[in-house]
Amino acid sequence: MTWLLRRLGISLVLIWVVATVVFLAIHMVPGDPAELLLSQGGTTPDAGVVEELREQLGLTKPLHVQYGLHMWRLLHFDLGQSMQDDSPVVAEIARRLPRTLELILAAGIMAVLIGIPTGTAAAMRRGGAFDRISSAIASLALAVPVFVVGTLMVMVFAQMLRFVPAGGFTPFTRDPAQHLALLAMPAGAIGIGLSAVVFRMTRAAVLDVMLRDYVRTARAKGVTPNRILVRHVVRTALMPVVTILALQLGTLLGGTVLVEFVFNWPGLSGLLVSAVNARDYPLVVGIITVISVLFVGLNLAVDVLYGLLDPRVRR
Amino acid sequence: MRRLPWTPIAAFALIVVIALLAPWLGLANPVSMDVPHRLAGPSAAHWLGQDEFGRDVFARLIWGARVSLSVAVAAAALACVVGTTLGVVGGFLRGIAEILALRSIDVLLCFPPLLLALLVVTLLGPGATTLIPVLALVYLPGFTRVAYAGVLTARSQDYVEAMRVLGAGKSRIMLRTILPNIGGPLLVQFSLAMAAAVVLESGLSFLGLGVVPPAPSWGLMIGAARATMTQAPLLLLWPCLALTATILVMNALCDGLRDAVDPHPAYRPTARRLLDALAPGLLPTPRAVLDLRGLTVEIDTPHGPIHPVRDVSLQVFPGETLAIVGESGSGKSVTSLAITGLLPGAARVISGAACLDGTDLLRLSEDRLRNLRGAAMAMVFQDPGSSLNPVHRIGDQIAEAIIAHRPMPRAQATSAALALLQRVGIPDPARRLRAFPHELSGGMRQRVMIAIAIANGPRLLIADEPTTALDVTIQAQVLDLLADLKRERGLALLFITHSLPVVAEIADRVAVMYAGEIVETGPTAEVFLNPRHPYTAALLRSAPVEDGPAPEGIAGVVPPPTALPPGCIFAPRCDRAAPVCTTTHPALEAAGEGRAVRCIRWNQP
Ligand code: SF4
Repeated sequence: MTWLLRRLGISLVLIWVVATVVFLAIHMVPGDPAELLLSQGGTTPDAGVVEELREQLGLTKPLHVQYGLHMWRLLHFDLGQSMQDDSPVVAEIARRLPRTLELILAAGIMAVLIGIPTGTAAAMRRGGAFDRISSAIASLALAVPVFVVGTLMVMVFAQMLRFVPAGGFTPFTRDPAQHLALLAMPAGAIGIGLSAVVFRMTRAAVLDVMLRDYVRTARAKGVTPNRILVRHVVRTALMPVVTILALQLGTLLGGTVLVEFVFNWPGLSGLLVSAVNARDYPLVVGIITVISVLFVGLNLAVDVLYGLLDPRVRR
Repeated sequence: MRRLPWTPIAAFALIVVIALLAPWLGLANPVSMDVPHRLAGPSAAHWLGQDEFGRDVFARLIWGARVSLSVAVAAAALACVVGTTLGVVGGFLRGIAEILALRSIDVLLCFPPLLLALLVVTLLGPGATTLIPVLALVYLPGFTRVAYAGVLTARSQDYVEAMRVLGAGKSRIMLRTILPNIGGPLLVQFSLAMAAAVVLESGLSFLGLGVVPPAPSWGLMIGAARATMTQAPLLLLWPCLALTATILVMNALCDGLRDAVDPHPAYRPTARRLLDALAPGLLPTPRAVLDLRGLTVEIDTPHGPIHPVRDVSLQVFPGETLAIVGESGSGKSVTSLAITGLLPGAARVISGAACLDGTDLLRLSEDRLRNLRGAAMAMVFQDPGSSLNPVHRIGDQIAEAIIAHRPMPRAQATSAALALLQRVGIPDPARRLRAFPHELSGGMRQRVMIAIAIANGPRLLIADEPTTALDVTIQAQVLDLLADLKRERGLALLFITHSLPVVAEIADRVAVMYAGEIVETGPTAEVFLNPRHPYTAALLRSAPVEDGPAPEGIAGVVPPPTALPPGCIFAPRCDRAAPVCTTTHPALEAAGEGRAVRCIRWNQP
C-alpha cells in the first residue's frame, strides 16, 4: 500500500516537472513567439501588431507570473486558446484523443494476438523451421519503418487492389462498418511492427523461463507439458512482455504521428503536427503536456500491473 | 567479448563506404532538375529513372544514405558523449551530481521520443542541423543509464578501491578503469541509437520536419513519391527498399553486438532420446527400489562429446539411504537427473539401465516417465529459493503435484496439501498455504519442496544437495525430517551431497564419485573407518573433523572431462600411484562384504 502511494507521489512530481519543462522550453525559445507567429511568410511584422499580440498572449508579464498563471490554469484543466482560431485547446484535444487511443488500442490487441502465441511457439521449437521463419519475418517487420509500411499499404490495398479507402475517418456512430474499414489499415500498419516487438520479447522471455529451476520442479512433479507451458512458463514470461508492450503503447501516444499523417486519420498526433507547422504554441504546449501526463500515468499503471502479476514486487 | 557479428559488420561497412564515396562515384547531380523528363523510367544515363522533377533517382538514393548516416552518426556520437559524461559523473561523484544527472534523465524519459523530437523541432525549426541535437536528446538517456550502471559496478570492484587508496585522482580512475569497462555496453547502445536515429530522421523528413528539400533524404523521397505512386510506383519502392535494407543491417548489427557483449545461455529443446536395445541380460537385483547399471551420459560440446558420468551402477533398497558423495563436477547431479529423465537438452544417456521397481526408466516413453515422476519417484533440489515458482501460492504448487497424479476436486487437494505442510513441520500451515515462496525462509521453502516430493507417496526420493543452501541448524532439522520420513514410509532415499559430515549423519551406505565414476562403495561406517580407495582416504583427511588434526587438501585438480587420463583417472593426484596405474583403467571390484573399490592397488601394501 505504501508502495503504491510512493509510486503515485513520484508520478505527481514527474507530471509537475514535465509541465514546467514544457513551459520553460517554449519560453526559452530564441525569438519571440508572437514575432515568429506573425513573421510567417517572410514578412517583417509591424512592431505595434507584435506588441498587441504579446499583450494578448500574456507575454509581457514577468516570467514567474506567467508560470504561476500557466500552472494555475493547468490545475483547472485549462490549456488556453489555440492561436489559429481561438478555440479552447482542451476541447480540441478531447475531440482528437479518443481517435488516437483507439488506433493504439487496436494495434496493441493485434500485437498481443499475433506476437504472444507465435513467440511462445517459436521458443518451444527453438532452431526449428517455424522459429527460423517467424524470426526472419519479425526482423523484417522491425526494419520497415511504420510510414513505409503505411505508404506501401496504401499503394497496394487502396490504389492497386482497391480493397479499402486510402484513408480518412468516419465516426463510429455514423457508420460503424466504414469506421472499422478505415481503422484497419492504420491500426495494421502500427500493429505489424508492434507484433514483431511482442514476438521477440515473448520468445526471449519464454527461452529464459524454460531454464529456470521451477520449471524443472514442475517437470519433476510430473505435470503435463501443456500445463507447464501455460501455468509456469507463459505465466511468468508474460510479465516482462506486458511491461514492454505497455511502454511501447505509451511511446505510441506521440508515435502515431506518421501513421495518422499517412492515412489522414484525424487523431491527436496529426493535430500536433499541424500545430507545430503553424507554430500554435498554446496548442503544442497543451498536446505535449497531455500526452506526457498520459505517458507518466501509463508508467504508473504498468508498475501497478507488475505488482499484481508478480507478488515479489508488492511490499 | 565473444564472436563479433561479422556479416552485419561487413554489410554495414559497405553501406558506409558507398555513402562516403558518393561524391566520387561519378553520379549524376542529385539536385539538378530535368523537368521535361519527369517520372522517366530507367535509362542508361539514369539507372533507376528520374523523379517528379526529373532528378536522377539512383544518385539521390546514394546521397540520401550519406545524409541519413551522417545525421545518425553525429546524433549518436553527441548523445554518447553527453549521456556517458552524465552517467559517469553522476555515478562517480554521487551526491547532488548523481541526483541531477539521473533525475534530468527521468524527466526526458517522460516524453515519448517522437514527441520530444517534435517539441524541439517546434522550437528550433526543421533542418538537418536541428535534427542532430533533437535525435541526440532522444537517445541520451540510454547512454546515461548504461554508463551509470557500469560505474556503480566498477566502483564496488577491488581494483578501483585499491587505486583510490593508492591516491589516484578521481578523473584518472574514471578514465583508466571505468571507461574501458563499459565500452562494450556503450558500443551496443551506440549502434541502437544509430539505427533508431535513421528511423526517426526518415520519419521526420517524411513529415517535412527533418531534412529540408531539395537535399536528398530517403524520408523526403518517400514522402514526395506518394503523390505519384499510381503513375510511378517504383519511385516509391526504391527509397523504401534502401531505408528498410539499411535498418535491417543496422538492427542485425545491434543484435550481434549485444550477443557478443552479453552472451547468455538459452534453453535448447531436444527430445529425450530413448535407449532402444534392452539392457543386455541383466537380472534385476531382488528387492532393490532403484537398480542402476552401467549408466553412461554423453554431452555434446563444441570440443566434441564428453562423458560426465561413466559406467555408474548402484542399488537403493527400501528404508535405506544411499549417499552419493563427490566434489562438484564429479557427475553426481548428472546421475540423478539421468535417472529421472530431466537431463538438460545437450546431454543424453548412451548406455545402461535404471530400474525402478523393475521398470527400466531409461527405456520408458516421456509420457509414462512423467506418470512416475512426482509419484513413484520424487525429487528435492538444492536451491529451494529458485525451485518454487515465485508467482504461485505454496498451496497451489503442492496441490498441483497431487492433482497431476491423482485427479481430485480442488478443495480436497488443498486439504491434502494442508496435511502435508503439517507433516513436514511448517507452523501455522493454514496461513502458509496462501503464502508466496518469497514470504518463507529458506528452511521453510525446502520443507515445502519436501512436502511436494512426498505428496504422492513415492517409493524413491532423490535429494540433490537439499541442505547445501541452508545454514547449519536448519540443515540438521531438514536432515532429521528426511530421515524420519524415510523410516516412517519405508522410502528408498538417494542422497546427493559433497559434504562428508552430512553423509555420516544420514547415509546407511555411501558411493564415492570422482570425475564421473564411482570409485568406492560400501556401508558408511566401514568406508569412513577404513577407506580402501586413496581418493576416499584423501577426501576424509580433507574434511574438517571436530577436535581432529587440521584438514589437508588434496593436491592437484580434478581432470577436465575433455582430457581424462588413460589409466586410473585419479593417478595424477594419487599418493599411492604406481607405473601400472597410468596405463590400466581399474574396474570396480568387490572388496569385502558389501564393498567395492576401483583401484588396482587397494589390497596391496
Ligand atoms: S589405481 Fe593407482 S592411481 Fe588409481 S587410485 Fe589406485 S593406486 Fe591410485
